[in-house]
Amino acid sequence: MRPFTYESPSSVLEATNPGHPDSAFIAGGTTIVDLMKLEVMKPPKVVDLNALPMRGIEMSPDGLRIGALEKMSDTAVHPEVAANYPVISEALLKSASAQIRNMASIGGNLLQRTRCGYFRDVNTPCNKREPGSGCPAIGGENRMHAILGTSSSCVATHASDLAVALVALEASVRLQSGASERLLTLDDFYLLPDGTPHQENQLLPGELITEIRVPRLPWATRSTYLKIRDRESYEFSLTSAAVALDVNGDQIRDARVAVGGVGTKPWNLPEVREALTGKPLTLETFVAAAKLAVAGAVPLKHNAFKIDLVQRTIIRALIKLGGLA
Amino acid sequence: MTTKNIGKPQDRVDGKLKVTGRAMYPGDRRMENLAYGYLLTSTVAKGSIRAMDTSGAERTRGVLAVYTPFNPLKLYRGLDSSEGANSGEIQPPLQDARILNYGQIIGLVVAESFEQARDAAALVTTQYDEDNPVASWETGMENAFTPEAVGGESATIKILSEGVSSIDDAIKDSPVVLDATYREPIYHHNPMEPHATTAVWQGDRLTIYDATQGVVAQRLDLAAVLGIDEDMVRVLCPFVGGGFGCKGSMWMFSPLTAAAARALGRSVKTILTREQMFTLVGHRPALIQRLTLGAKPDGTLQAVKHDVRSTVSFSKVFVEAAAHRTSRLLYKSTNIQVSQTLVPWNVGGPTFMRAPGCAPGMFALECAMDELAAKLRIDPIELRIKNNAEVFPGKNVPWSSKNLVECYQLGAQKFGWSKRNPEPGAIRDGDWLVGMGMASALYPAHRSQASVKVRLQADGTAEVSSATQDLGTGTWTVLAIVGADSLELPIEKIRPELGDSALPHAPTSGGSTSVASVTPAIQRAAESAKRKLIQFVLRDKRSPFFGMRAEDVVYRDGKIEGGGKSADFGSVLTAIGRGAVEAVEMAEPGEEEQKYAFHSFGAQFCELRVNRWTGEVRLQRITSVMDIGTVVNLKAARSQIIGGIVFGIGMALLEGSVLEEKTGRYGNANFADYLVATNADVPYVDVYFIDKPDTIFNPLGARGIGEIGITGMPAAIANAVYNATGNRVRDFPILPEKLLPLGLNQPAISMALR
Ligand SMILES: Cc1cc2nc3c(=O)[nH]c(=O)nc-3n(C[C@H](O)[C@H](O)[C@H](O)COP(=O)(O)OP(=O)(O)OC[C@H]3O[C@@H](n4cnc5c(N)ncnc54)[C@H](O)[C@@H]3O)c2cc1C
Repeated sequence: MRPFTYESPSSVLEATNPGHPDSAFIAGGTTIVDLMKLEVMKPPKVVDLNALPMRGIEMSPDGLRIGALEKMSDTAVHPEVAANYPVISEALLKSASAQIRNMASIGGNLLQRTRCGYFRDVNTPCNKREPGSGCPAIGGENRMHAILGTSSSCVATHASDLAVALVALEASVRLQSGASERLLTLDDFYLLPDGTPHQENQLLPGELITEIRVPRLPWATRSTYLKIRDRESYEFSLTSAAVALDVNGDQIRDARVAVGGVGTKPWNLPEVREALTGKPLTLETFVAAAKLAVAGAVPLKHNAFKIDLVQRTIIRALIKLGGLA
Repeated sequence: MTTKNIGKPQDRVDGKLKVTGRAMYPGDRRMENLAYGYLLTSTVAKGSIRAMDTSGAERTRGVLAVYTPFNPLKLYRGLDSSEGANSGEIQPPLQDARILNYGQIIGLVVAESFEQARDAAALVTTQYDEDNPVASWETGMENAFTPEAVGGESATIKILSEGVSSIDDAIKDSPVVLDATYREPIYHHNPMEPHATTAVWQGDRLTIYDATQGVVAQRLDLAAVLGIDEDMVRVLCPFVGGGFGCKGSMWMFSPLTAAAARALGRSVKTILTREQMFTLVGHRPALIQRLTLGAKPDGTLQAVKHDVRSTVSFSKVFVEAAAHRTSRLLYKSTNIQVSQTLVPWNVGGPTFMRAPGCAPGMFALECAMDELAAKLRIDPIELRIKNNAEVFPGKNVPWSSKNLVECYQLGAQKFGWSKRNPEPGAIRDGDWLVGMGMASALYPAHRSQASVKVRLQADGTAEVSSATQDLGTGTWTVLAIVGADSLELPIEKIRPELGDSALPHAPTSGGSTSVASVTPAIQRAAESAKRKLIQFVLRDKRSPFFGMRAEDVVYRDGKIEGGGKSADFGSVLTAIGRGAVEAVEMAEPGEEEQKYAFHSFGAQFCELRVNRWTGEVRLQRITSVMDIGTVVNLKAARSQIIGGIVFGIGMALLEGSVLEEKTGRYGNANFADYLVATNADVPYVDVYFIDKPDTIFNPLGARGIGEIGITGMPAAIANAVYNATGNRVRDFPILPEKLLPLGLNQPAISMALR
C-alpha cells in the first residue's frame, strides 16, 4: 500500500470538488482497500463518502430510489425491495458474505472492479490496470472469464450481481459532480472494453454516483436471480440470470432478462425478452429464447462451457418463474 | 487407572482461551525491539536472477535491511527425514541466484513495522534470465523417474500367485476387467492460520515461536540451517491454527527470519501472506492414477494393478504413495501390483497433506471398485465384503484389530443404503437428480517413541507435559483426559503442557500419531509418579504414612490410603515440605510391529443432488462409521472426522490449485479463487465409532483419528455423482461443466441446446 492522504467531507459539493485528479472515493472499502493492499490501485488521496447524505430507500409511483451509500445488507432485506423486486434482494443476498454485505455500499457495488486474477496481480501484465501491457487471460487461465463483449484487449467479467439485476430492470444511476447532475441508464453507464478496458464506465474524475433509480414494474414481483457457482455460498458467479416474467394465463406478456458471469459488463438481453414476449409459456419458448443469449459469444480455452451453461441458467430461472418445474 | 473420562464427549480445555482470543499463536507474539520481516518472492518459475534493485526499499522509512542473493544471510542446507528431521526444502534461500519455482524466496525486507516492510518490498525490482518452466504432465514426462523407495519398500511391489508371471497376465485371465485413469490437481493445505515465526535471540541462544506440528524436529532443522548447536535453540508453539501437514516440516522462511534477527540484533517476526502459502510451505502433488481391476463374474478379485504418477519439485523428492498405502493392502486379490513414478515440475517443495497417499489413492481405488461393481451388477458393499482382506497381503500377518465389515454393515443400516437405486439417474426430485455413494476409508496406524513428564504438585494439581503439539486436534484435552484417568483425578486438576521443545520429547504431530504415541507414555509416567510419591511419604517423618510398608499403602482416586488413613496427595506433599513429585517416562512400540499390521478403517456414505440443468453438485447428508480403536474424546473425535470429511468435500468438488502451464504461476492463490467448502456446502454429518480398543497397538487401544475422515469421502462423492447422473467424472474437482450435458434424464428439449 502506498502512502495516501485521507479526507472525510460532509457535502457532495465538497467531495466532488476536483482536488487531486487521481483521488479515489471510499465507501465500504471492501473493494478499494483490497486493491490498495495489492497495489492495483494507488490513489494518493482517499475521499471518504460516509459522512455524505446519499442514503435512503424509498418506493414512489415512479419506482424505487436507493441512496448510493445504503448497505448491501440493508437494501437486500428492505421490505419494499424484497416485496417489489425480489430479483434485487436475491442478487444481493447471493453476493459476497454477510460480513462484506454489512460493510459494502450499493454505489461501491456497482463500481467494484473485475475479479480477473491478472488484474489483481501487479506482477502480471493487464490492459485494464496498465493500458497497453497486454492480456495474459486470453491465453492463460480463463475459466471465470467472459464470452460476451470481449475484445482482444480484455476478457474480464464484470463481477457485480446487483448490476445484473438492475440492468434487467432498466435501472438508472444518478451522477453528480459539483452542482451538475445527470441520469444515465445503467446499461449505458457501463462501457465495453474494446481497446480501452481501463475505461469501465462513464463516470468522470471526481464524479459521484448519488443514487440508483429503478423504474416501477408491478409484475417484477415475479422475478428472480439465479446464480450458478461451484460452491453454495461466497463465490462469484460462473453464470447468473436476472429474470422477471409477466404472465397472463399460459401466455408471456412481457419479460426482463439479463445475465452475469459471462459479459464484460452486466449483460442485458433485449433479444431474449422479445423472443419471450407474446409467446406461450412453455419450455420450448424458453429454450428458443435462451439461444439468443449467446449470439456472438466468443469462447476461450477454459470457459467454452459457459455458452451452454448460461442458456441453461436462463431456462432454469424461467422454469422457476413460470411454474413449469 | 480409571476410565471416567476416556471416551466421553469432553470440551476442549483450551477452548476458552481460543474463543476469547487469549491463545497466543506464533504470529501473535509481541515483544520489545520487535521488527517485521516481509518476504520477496520470484515472479518467474525457472531461470536465474540477473539483478535486483533494492535502493528504493532501502531508502524507505523504517527499513532496517533488505537481504537478497546479492546481500545474503549465511544459511546451511536442511536435513531430510533420513537425518532425523524434515526440512520442507533442502536448499536454503539466498545462497545463489537460481530460480526453481514461481514464488520462491528471493529476499527478506526487515522494517520497524509490517506495513513498512511490505511497502518497501513492493519497491524492489528484479531482473531475471527466464527459462520455460515445467508445469504440466506433457512437459514433465521427459524427466520422469522412479523413486528409490516408497515408504521403505520398492517402487514396484508385485504380489503374484504361484504360476502367474505378471500382473498383466492375471488381468488377461480375468473374465471382467475394469481399467480407468483418475486425475487430480495440486491441492494446498491452506490452514486458517498462516505460517508465522518470531525469532528472539539472547546472546547465542535462540527462542523461536514457530507455527509447527513438531517442535522437536523443528529445533533440529533450525539449528542445522542456522549452523548452530541444537541445544542453543528452543522452539515454542503451544497453539497451531491448523496444519494438515504443511506445518509438519520446517520451511526456510523461518531460519531466514532467525538469521536476520541475529544479524540485526532485533527480534524479528515474519508472517506469510495467503499467496505465499501456495509456494513456500508445500502442497499435495498432482496425480494421475491408473487402476486396473480383474475379477471373476462373482466379484472375486484376481488382479489389482495400481500405477501412480505423482509430481515432485526440482528441489525436493516427496512420494505421494497413493498405491502403496491403499491398493497394496485393502483387498485380498490373488494378484496385486502397485508402482510409482515421479514427475518433477517447477513448483515449491511438495509435502504430506492430510492422509498422504491414502486420500488420493482411495479416490482412485474406491471409484474403481464402484465402477467394477456397476459392471458386475453387484452391490458395491457386497463386492467389498467379498474381497475383504483378513491378512495383510504379501506379508500374511493379521491386523491388530480390524472391523471393516462391521463398518460397512453399520454404515449401510444407519445411512439407509438399501434405499439406493443401483440404476444411475433413477431418482429425481424436481429438477435435481439424487444419488447415493459409498467408499471404504483407510489409514495406517503409526506410533513412535514419546516421553511424558507427570508432576504431582503440592497444590493438588498434576502437570502432564510433553513436547507434542495440538494442531487444533485436541491434544491439550487428550493430555488432560488421559492424565486425569491415569492419576484418578478430575480433569480440572490436570495442567497439560505441550508445544515446547524443552519438554520431554515426542514425535511430530503428523500421520495421526500423537495420541497413539503420547498416551502410553502418560500412563507410564503416571504410574511412576505414583510409585515415587508413595516412596516419599513412607520415608518422611512428617508424613501420616511414615514407616508403613510399601505394600500397605496405595494411591487411589488422588489420595494416598493405608493403615486406615487417607489423605489427598497434595496435602501429604505439603506436610512433608515437598513442592512436587515428578517422573518422566518413555514409551515406544515393541515387537508387535513385526507380528501385526496396524490400520484404521471405515465406511463413508453420502447422498447428494445434481441439478439437471446446471450441473452443480450439492451434498444432502453424510454417514461415516469409523474403526479407530478406543475413542479418547468423543466430541473431538467426531470433530476430527467431520473435519476430514470437509476436506474430502473440498477435494472432490471444489479445491484445486490452478497451475499455469506457461508461467508456473498459481492462478488462484487466494481464498476467493481457491475454494474450500463453506458451511453451506457441508450437510448434516452422522459419525459412528466401532470403539473396539486395539490393545495390541498400545495399552489404551487408541489409534490416530486425524486423517482417516478424508480418505473415503472423495470417492463416495464421485460414486454418488455417478449414481445420480450416470456420469463418471474421473478428474477432480467435479465442476459443473464436467457434468454437462447430463447424460441421463435429459429432457429432449435440453438436448436441443447442443
Ligand atoms: C471476498 C469478496 C467476495 C465478493 N463476492 C461478491 C459477489 O459474490 N457478488 C458481488 O456482486 N460482489 C461481491 N463482492 C464485491 C463487493 O460486493 C464489493 O466489494 C462491494 O459492493 C463494494 O462496495 P464498497 O462500498 O465496499 O466499495 P468501496 O470499496 O468503498 O469502493 C469501490 C469503488 O467504488 C468507488 N465508489 C464507491 N462509492 C462510490 C460512489 N457513490 N460514487 C462514486 N464512486 C464510488 C470507489 O472509489 C472504489 O473505486 C465481493 C467482495 C469480496 C471482497
